[in-house]
Amino acid sequence: MRVDAVTDAIGNTPLLRIDPSVHGLRHIDLYAKLELLNPFGSVKDRAAWAMARPLLARAAGRGDIVVELSSGNTAKALAVIAGMHGLGFRSVTNRMKVPEIKDLLLLLGADIEELPGQAECLDPTDAEDPLTRMHRSLAAAGTGYLHTDQYFNPLNVDAHRHGTGPEIVADLDGRAPDYFVACVGTAGSSTGVAAALRRHNPGLQVVGLVAHKADFIPGIRTIDEVHEVGLFDPGVYDAIETITADDAVDGLLTLVRRCGTLAGPTGGGAYQGAVRHLRTVDAGLTGRRTAVFIVCDRVESYLSYLRERRPELFRQPARPTSTRTVTDAEAARAPSVDVGTAQRWVSQGRGPVVDLRSPFAYQALHIDGSINIVDELFAELLHGGLPFGRRQPVLLVCPVGEKSARYAALLTRMGHPDVHSLEGGIIAWRDAGGELVRD
Amino acid sequence: MTLRLSPRIEPDVRSALAETVLLQQLVDACGSPLSVVLPDRMADNVAAFRAVLAGHRLAGEVFFAHKANRSSALVRHLAAGDAGIDVASLGELQHALSAGIAARRIMATGPKNREFLWLAARAGVTVNADSIDELSELASLVTAHRLPRVRVMARLSGFASTGARVTSRRSRFGVPARAIGAVADLIGKEAGALDLTGVAFHLDTIGLAEKVVAIEGCLAALDECHRRGLRPRSLDIGGGFGVDYLADAAEWERWTSELTEAVLGRRPPLTWDGHAYGLRNDGGTVRGALGLYPAHRPVAGAAYLDALLRAEVRAHRRTVGTLLLDAMYDLHVEPGRALLDQCGMVLARVLEVRDDGDGTVVRLDCNARDVSLEEHGVLMDPVVVHRSSPADPRPVGAYLVGNLCLEADLITRRRVHLPARPRPGDLLAFVNTAGYFMDFSATTAIRQPVARKVALYRDGGAWRWCLDEQYWPVHPGTEAA
Repeated sequence: MRVDAVTDAIGNTPLLRIDPSVHGLRHIDLYAKLELLNPFGSVKDRAAWAMARPLLARAAGRGDIVVELSSGNTAKALAVIAGMHGLGFRSVTNRMKVPEIKDLLLLLGADIEELPGQAECLDPTDAEDPLTRMHRSLAAAGTGYLHTDQYFNPLNVDAHRHGTGPEIVADLDGRAPDYFVACVGTAGSSTGVAAALRRHNPGLQVVGLVAHKADFIPGIRTIDEVHEVGLFDPGVYDAIETITADDAVDGLLTLVRRCGTLAGPTGGGAYQGAVRHLRTVDAGLTGRRTAVFIVCDRVESYLSYLRERRPELFRQPARPTSTRTVTDAEAARAPSVDVGTAQRWVSQGRGPVVDLRSPFAYQALHIDGSINIVDELFAELLHGGLPFGRRQPVLLVCPVGEKSARYAALLTRMGHPDVHSLEGGIIAWRDAGGELVRD
Repeated sequence: MTLRLSPRIEPDVRSALAETVLLQQLVDACGSPLSVVLPDRMADNVAAFRAVLAGHRLAGEVFFAHKANRSSALVRHLAAGDAGIDVASLGELQHALSAGIAARRIMATGPKNREFLWLAARAGVTVNADSIDELSELASLVTAHRLPRVRVMARLSGFASTGARVTSRRSRFGVPARAIGAVADLIGKEAGALDLTGVAFHLDTIGLAEKVVAIEGCLAALDECHRRGLRPRSLDIGGGFGVDYLADAAEWERWTSELTEAVLGRRPPLTWDGHAYGLRNDGGTVRGALGLYPAHRPVAGAAYLDALLRAEVRAHRRTVGTLLLDAMYDLHVEPGRALLDQCGMVLARVLEVRDDGDGTVVRLDCNARDVSLEEHGVLMDPVVVHRSSPADPRPVGAYLVGNLCLEADLITRRRVHLPARPRPGDLLAFVNTAGYFMDFSATTAIRQPVARKVALYRDGGAWRWCLDEQYWPVHPGTEAA
């Protein structure tokens, strides 16, 4: 496929039949609409392009910036599109909780403005919602802006009514599926696709998935939050069901490990929600049925999200020369010196003093003559073996003598005969009136 | 069927609520409304904050934000322990000194007049200054009145973030962080009068990210002070640790969802006259912001401090706690409501119970300023203390109206759940109201009395009480212990 602009590659994504041995449904063919294969990595590429396209020429003429209330994929797509057209992009958000997305947006040249958290002391006169705040901050900036307004813009729905929906029908040989399952974020894709599918099959059952209220699933709103979305019309859905972050991760793992589909948590949630809903339907069926769900985006941006919820997925083999292997008893037995002895050590130049604190703290104040190797770098060095000779006496210093004791114990175990920890750390040194310098 | 919002009630408060005869006698004797404080619990709350500091190996003080409650019993009880106090007015400073809290354990914060500054300097408390002008005024007072050198902290605000721009609400307090040089210059010039012990901030937000940005800014400011030869060694991160008011997350989630439905007109109102707490229906879409305190907060109080200390400062690739410890800074905290969690309740007499439209109206002998839950956006059900048997054992949804001749005098605009219908003469107990809801807003409008206050404490196995002003931490119970 040859294209002149990358935006021409948006859409026409494959419809993948999920292997029945994976989902276990006997009477239902389950298809995944692989929106993760859009060029910027998500279903939002369609809406972003549909909303921005008609306005770009004018905005470029005036030097406007593109703005959107988005914490994820819409922001990503708009940042790319704005950049391609020489425009700036600003994302205003109170929901940006995934650090990789934040970094990616900065890499793409976006400005990110995070809105303040809720006040601890309530001000009942403060009734501003994020949208109002955004408009106020933009008005104050004095520059023109192009607000794509994804939660209210009908072009968001149209992108799917005229794109995603008809593609599904075409790939099913001109027939709409019996079931359509979608996560509800802006409600753009679910509303647009449902409308297109219903034209071919008025009996279509649409299941909207929302996040459990106490959970956070990127790109999915909770049952309360969907009501803040202008495009959300409860009449679109035959059922609204709740999924948890755990469901989303379970579904993600199935898609990633068994279906060759590198889906993010939203796609995982859609799969899990679809199978859960269809399993009850399947039991009562005799004839064949078809169901479709959307895989919204890719897994790569959510590694920290997954690490936080399922640390066991990322387990590393324990390295033998790590302070994690040092027991409390070993640390307590580690060779140490008190402040007085340490002062003589320094004045007599007995050997190097290694300060394990952060460079920032070391710069501010340290023991004269000491060298700074921050603990995490020191830990890396030790994985490779002893970083200094056995005949070289070394004094380790940390804030309160706890970390230095662990490292002294580890170095002793590694065979170093003359390494010591400063008892009570640099705080004890300071409190005893020991000299600290700043270079 | 009224949706419940059950308050979180811990065993001591539950045991006090079971003393129905005592509570009735107290209100008979002292009048309605009556504030009840439970000083003993405060020590546990202080200990929880101390444990978090110790867990991160950090030194520092826990300063109780006095403004959360005017009680003498609470402050005197505090004096008996190891916590400090944050005073925000001349009166609060006098109160703290008279309770026996040593000057070294007092921090003067907030907007200050000359008299407040003088007494702070005279007594030797630390002055947490809001502006460069305040520091100048303090220095000239110290010089003119030949007072000893005063320990000061500089409150900062307007911190710049790196990477994504983290915005905070505008604050009326504090020196812009970028002006730390001017603060350091002034302190250097007034070295005989002012001793800079550290910098401070207080952000009115529950957002961790904003506080991490502020801490990063304070560390840079402290470093700038060191560069200029000053030796500040503490960081005061103010308060705002929060309280978890509700027992059940599911009740809170259900209620807020149903409120949204009610705003959209899909179910009957849950509130007086369809009050929407800041939300509005804009053509089928909900707009506005929910003006309520997040009453169910699983991470609150000391646990919130722990989460903050575990948060990463990305520029340094270290956690907040490690950075502070590395730099040898003491960490001061000023919790108010978090230290008063489970430390008190307001009792009010039921005057009238009548049915009206979509709910029962219960008129109380107190007003919305005596138990200012509504003003602070905290929703929870009161506990009924029956004088005899309930009028009807079935649950009832009730609107609580107050004793002011004012339409807006509703104790809460939410229809509350009462497990049984009360009779006139019964009491409603508003639990966990010691932090800010007891006396912060109380007035004598239309000559209605402000609540008296009593302290309730355990003596051996029994509950004892005394007037708040009569309480000293040397009651027989403590001496036996």
